[in-house]
Amino acid sequence: MGNHIPELSDPESPPERTASRRPGAVTDESQAVEGWYAAYGRMVYNYARFHLASPDAAEDVTAETFLKVFRAAERYDRDRASPWVWILRIARNTLRDHLRRGRLRSYVPIGAMRDLVWEAPSPEERLIREEQVARLLAAVAELPVRDREIVSLRYGSELDTAQVAALLGLRESAVRTRLWRALGRLRALLEGDS
Amino acid sequence: MRHERDPRLDELDRALRGVRFEPRASLGAEILGRWRRGEGRVPSRAFRLRRILGLAVVMGAIGSGAVLALRLAAPGPRLVIDRCCEDFDLGGPPDDGLLIVAGPRERVERLAIYEDRDGSRSFTEPDAIRFDRRSRPAVEWRHLDRGRTAEYCCLDYDGGGKADDALVVVARPPDQIALAVIYERNDTARAPAVLR
Repeated sequence: MGNHIPELSDPESPPERTASRRPGAVTDESQAVEGWYAAYGRMVYNYARFHLASPDAAEDVTAETFLKVFRAAERYDRDRASPWVWILRIARNTLRDHLRRGRLRSYVPIGAMRDLVWEAPSPEERLIREEQVARLLAAVAELPVRDREIVSLRYGSELDTAQVAALLGLRESAVRTRLWRALGRLRALLEGDS
Repeated sequence: MRHERDPRLDELDRALRGVRFEPRASLGAEILGRWRRGEGRVPSRAFRLRRILGLAVVMGAIGSGAVLALRLAAPGPRLVIDRCCEDFDLGGPPDDGLLIVAGPRERVERLAIYEDRDGSRSFTEPDAIRFDRRSRPAVEWRHLDRGRTAEYCCLDYDGGGKADDALVVVARPPDQIALAVIYERNDTARAPAVLR
């Protein structure tokens, strides 16, 4: 189902930030910061991207999230939450603040799909794919907030239903039900659009 | 109870799984730069205590005006922001990047627009510089004739952490840039925009 999300104890996990506040310990700290972003950057970015029409806005939310993560890293307690749960909670709050500030524009700028990962054999096929995804995400944007959140966590952050349940404090069965209902509403929106 | 799944929902599930986005290659380095220059940091308790004591001594000795002057004079780390790609030169494809070196107090110390020739989505050696200026706004007069103006708003172009900056570009298609300037929007105060 979902991709593997490394824990801090995993070999591929970001290095811990112990003693990173030492004066002159710029290298340690930089490595730690880079490690956190390398491990969880795409997860946060794709989560934000499913909510936001513009790559620039998703970048801003991602950057703001990680600055908060770095700032709060010393207070992070791995016994209370896995790192990905903790980081996604920060990302969710950051996204909420971003939406509240109303900095979103009603238009979608040219190049809004420039960050789409798609190996197309020709520019025409790339354009077709971009249109398909834009239509899909425009329908996601019309979903109620709760549905949009579950779709973004499941498909944007690539969490499986058990991970979404852990993050939202729900039972896995409830997440599955909500997810399929959300997909049903999304299907209806897409059919109404076509 | 097992639900009968609508096959169209399975198809939608597959379609959504196939959607992946890749953040700009330079985003990690940019966040690191912002962190290095102290954005978002909370000083440690020991540092806060030292600062309070130090401030008390300094305040008593030379007054708060001197402290402010010292802080303003202190050099700060620079931040490199590399945003790619848009069609800044109005040449057609969105293959232009914006490179900004921001200094202390959100001052733009260098601003360049480049054409992302190798498709790396960040500034690399094969890329062609279309416009380059230092801290003062500059105009390439020879390209100003028949130039077209476009405004890109609103993002964090000066490294201040807030998406409140606009970029104005005067371009002569297909690949010449006469002017590029960043200003901080100030919608609420009705005050003049702050040029960066």
